[in-house]
Amino acid sequence: MKSGRWLPIIIVVVTALLIAISVLHPNQSAAALADAGTTGLLRPSTTPEAAVENLAREIGQRHWGSAYSRLANKSEFTEADFQRDLTGTYMSLRSYATLDHFEVRPQHASQNDAQELLKLHWSTVVGTFEDTKSLHVVKNGDRWQAEWPLVKEPRVPPQVIPVNYLRWDVIYRGAQDDWGAQDVESPHVRIVDMHPLERGDGVLIMGELLNEDVVPAYVSVKATLLAKSGAAIATEDSFDKISHLLLPKQVTPFLISFPGVELAQVASVRMEPSASLIAASADPVIAIEDQKLNPAPGASLTGKLVDQSGQVVNVVHVLGTFYDKNGKLVWVADHYMDRALLPQVPASFTIPIPPDIAGQVSSERAVTAIYSSGGFQ
Amino acid sequence: MSKRPIPLSFILLAAVVVHLPLLLAKMPLHSYDATFHIFFASHYLHHWMDPWNVKWYAGFSQTTYPPLPQQWVAVLSHVFGLIMAYMAVQFAAILLLAVGVYRFSRLWVNERAASFASLASVFLGSESFLVYGAGQLSTTSAAPIYLNALPYLFDWVRYGRWRSFLKALVLFMAAAAAHHATLIFGSMLFAVPVLALVFLDRNEGEPMSTPTFVARTATMAVVGGIAIAVVLLPFWIALIHNPVTQVPIPHASRANFALSPALGINYFIVPYGALMLVLPFILFRGAAVRRLRPLLLGFWLTFLIGLGGTTPVGHLLLGRAYEVITMERFTYWATLLSLPFVGLLSSELVDRFRMRAVVGLTVAAAFTCGLGVAWIIYKPAEDSQFSVDSAAAWLDRDGHDKYRYFTLGFSSKISELATYTNADSVDGEWNSGRTLPELTQHGGAALTKSKYFQKQGLDALRAMLAHADHYGLKWVLVRDPYYDPLLSFVGYRRVDTLENNTITIWGKDGIPPAVPVNSAYRPPQWQGLMWGTLPFGSSLLAILVVFIPDKRRPRDEEVEAPTPAEELVPGRLAI
Repeated sequence: MKSGRWLPIIIVVVTALLIAISVLHPNQSAAALADAGTTGLLRPSTTPEAAVENLAREIGQRHWGSAYSRLANKSEFTEADFQRDLTGTYMSLRSYATLDHFEVRPQHASQNDAQELLKLHWSTVVGTFEDTKSLHVVKNGDRWQAEWPLVKEPRVPPQVIPVNYLRWDVIYRGAQDDWGAQDVESPHVRIVDMHPLERGDGVLIMGELLNEDVVPAYVSVKATLLAKSGAAIATEDSFDKISHLLLPKQVTPFLISFPGVELAQVASVRMEPSASLIAASADPVIAIEDQKLNPAPGASLTGKLVDQSGQVVNVVHVLGTFYDKNGKLVWVADHYMDRALLPQVPASFTIPIPPDIAGQVSSERAVTAIYSSGGFQ
Repeated sequence: MSKRPIPLSFILLAAVVVHLPLLLAKMPLHSYDATFHIFFASHYLHHWMDPWNVKWYAGFSQTTYPPLPQQWVAVLSHVFGLIMAYMAVQFAAILLLAVGVYRFSRLWVNERAASFASLASVFLGSESFLVYGAGQLSTTSAAPIYLNALPYLFDWVRYGRWRSFLKALVLFMAAAAAHHATLIFGSMLFAVPVLALVFLDRNEGEPMSTPTFVARTATMAVVGGIAIAVVLLPFWIALIHNPVTQVPIPHASRANFALSPALGINYFIVPYGALMLVLPFILFRGAAVRRLRPLLLGFWLTFLIGLGGTTPVGHLLLGRAYEVITMERFTYWATLLSLPFVGLLSSELVDRFRMRAVVGLTVAAAFTCGLGVAWIIYKPAEDSQFSVDSAAAWLDRDGHDKYRYFTLGFSSKISELATYTNADSVDGEWNSGRTLPELTQHGGAALTKSKYFQKQGLDALRAMLAHADHYGLKWVLVRDPYYDPLLSFVGYRRVDTLENNTITIWGKDGIPPAVPVNSAYRPPQWQGLMWGTLPFGSSLLAILVVFIPDKRRPRDEEVEAPTPAEELVPGRLAI
C-alpha cells in the first residue's frame, strides 16, 4: 500500500517536471508551431535585447496592439500608422507576409539607452525579404522600450492623370473554346543572346528575348541540356526570372537554373521560346530613374521606380541585366518590391551583384514586370 | 435506486439517439478528414484490386494506408451512396465502441461500473472530436475493434482458451487492417496494461505459472504478428520501399499547449471535457487499487504522449515517428483507458447521491459530447463552406482533364474535388503517400494550404510550379488571392472564374498534356490482389468468428468491486 500512497505524488511531480522542461526548452516541432519560432513566452523587458525580442514576437504574431503598446515613442503616431508601416497601406507583398524569423544584434548600450539592430525576415508568396530596423531603446523605470523609426508613406495631392497609352485587345474564337487554342499566328519572338554559366551547384542559362512583332506577346523560355549522346539531361524553364509580358519590340532578360548539373556534362542546349497573343496595355508605365552601378564591396544596381500612371501597382518585379565592356551578357538578377508602388511616388530598389561578377560588369539594363490585383498581368 | 448494471441495449439505444441524428445530418462532412476517407473509398469503389491512385500526387499507392473502413464505405456505397456509406461505417464504429468499452472495462471493474463506462463512451468528448471535428474514421474504427479483442487476449493468456486465442487473433487482424498508427502505437498502450493485469491476477483462482504467461503472450505476439504482417503485407512493403523520410510537417497537435494555449483548448480541453474533473480520481483510485495500477500507468503514459510538445515524452518515446503522426489520437486512447475509472466513479456517485448524481453526470456528459461535436462549428477547419461542383465540372469538360491541376485555398475540399473530377492532381492530403520530390523535400503539407506552412510550404509550391511542364500541370484553381502574384510572375494567366468569381482558374501556355509518371512505388498486381482481399476478408472472418459462442465464465473469474481492504483509500467515495 505504501507504493500506492506515493504513486499519485510521483505522477503529479513527474508530470509537472516534464511540463516545466518543455516550457523552458520547447522542442523544435513545438517551437515551429508557435508561429515559426517567433512566439514563445515573452520575457520581462529587463534588457534592451529582451525588449526588442518581445516587440519582434508581437509583430510576428500580428498582435499590433500589444506591439504598439510596447513602444517608447507611441505618442508620435497611431497604432494604425504603426501597422501600416509594417504591412503597407495598399495590397502588396507586405500585406500577407509572415515573419519567418528575426535577429536582434546589440550595437551599443549605456545605462539608460541602447541601439539594437532588428532584422525581420519575412516570407512571402514570391520569396523572402528582409526588413532591417535600427532601434533606439530607452529605459523607462525598470523596463526597456524600443522607439519605432516610423517612415510615413509619401502621398501625392489629388490630381487627374490623363491616360493615352496604347492598348491591345484580342478577340478569341469563343467563350467555350479551350483557352490557348488560338486561331491566330503566335507573335514572333527571338532569343537575341544566350550564355551558359556554371555556378554554385548547377548550371545557369542566361539570355535575352526580343518580341519582334507588332503585337504584345506572353512569353516563356524553356531550355533542355543535352549530353554528347544527344540525351536530355534536364529541362527547366525561366519560371519567374523573366518578364512574361512583352510589348512590341520589348526585350526581357531570362535566367534558367539547372541545380545539380555540371557544365562539363553539357554538349548543347536546346532553347524553346514560346509566345502567345495576349490582350495588354502599355499602362501603367514604370519609369526607372537614377540607375547606378555600385562597385564592390557590396556591389549592386540601385535606382528608383516611378509609376507614371494613376494606378497603384501592387507588386513590382525588377529584372536587371548586366553586361561586360564588350556588351556580353554576364549576369541576370532580380528583386521584388515589398511595398506597393504608388502613383508618381519614387521607390528605391537595390539588386545585389555577386562579388565575383561585379568586377566584370560595366553596363546594365533594368526592366520591370508588374502585378496589379484585378488588372492586366 | 437499482444497483443493477445498465443494459447494453439501453447503451446502444443512447448511442443511436445521440449520434444517428448527427450522422444523418452529415455532420462529419464539416471535419478535416472525412472527405479524405471518402476519396479513398471512391477509389476502391472503382478500382478495388488496384491500389494505385493517379488522382493525387501524379500517382500514389493506397497501400500506404490500411484500407478496411474505406473498403467498407466503398461496399456500402452501392446501397447508400458514398457519403451516407461513410456515415454508416462511422455509426457502426460508434456502436462497436460502446460494446468494446464495456468488455474492456469488465477486465478492470465490476459489471455495473463497466456499464457506466460503456454509456460514458457514447458521450466521450474525444470521440465526438475525432468523429465530427477531425473526421478520423480509421482511428475511431480501429480502437473499438482492439477494445473488443483485449478481453479475448486476457482470456487466452490467463486461462489458455484456444477459442479466445482465435477470436483475439482475428480481431487484432481486423483492427490492424483498419489503422496502422493504432496497430503500431495504440495496441501496445492497450495490450500491455492488460498483460500486466493477467500477471497480477496469475495467482487468483486457477493459478498460472510465469513461464506459461510468457509462453502464451509470446504465442499471441508471434502468431498475431505473422497474421498481421500477411494481411498488411503491401503496406509493409510500401513502408520499407518508401520510408517516411520526408521533411517533417508541423502539426498543431504537437504544440506545447502551455506556450500555445489556443491549441491546448483544441487538443486538450475539448477532447477531455468533463473528464478533466475525473483526473484526480483516476490518480488516487488507480494508485490505491493494486489491479488498477497497470491501467493507471497505461493511462498516464498515453496522457503524456497526447499532450504533444507540452512534455518531452512523446518526442523521446516515438523518436522520428513523433514528427510524422499526430498526437490527438493518443488523447483519444488516453480517454478510452480512463473510461473504467469513469464507470467506477459514476456508479459510486449514483449509488451515493442518487438522482442528484444522475443529473450532474448527465449534464457533464452532454456538455462534453456537445462541445466535441460543436467545436468544428465554433472553430471551423478553414473556410470550407463552398461547393466544388462547378470546379469538378470545369475540369471534366472540353478536354481540360488531359492536364493535371492543383488548387490553392481549397483546404480539405481537395479530397471532395478529387472524388468527383476525372482530372488528376499533383497535390493531395495524404502526406505519407507523397513521393514527388517537390513535395517531400519541403516541410509543407498540401499545396492548397501552402501559405499556412510559411516558407516551407511556399518553397514546395514554387518547386512544383517550376516543374509544371514535367507534370502536365496546366491548371491552378485558386480561391485565395494571396497566391495571385506568384502565379502571375511565373507565367500563369487567368482563364476563367467560377462560383461568383470566388474561384479563379489560372492556366499556362505551352504545357504538354499529362502523361503517367513512371513510379517505382507502384504496387504490382499481386499486391493489389492481396490488398483487395485480405484486409476486407479479415473483417468478414472476425464477424463470423466472434459469433462463435463463448463458454460461460466460472464465477471466480468475474471481476468484482475493489476489495474492502482497498476501499478505504484516498479518492474512494464511501457509500
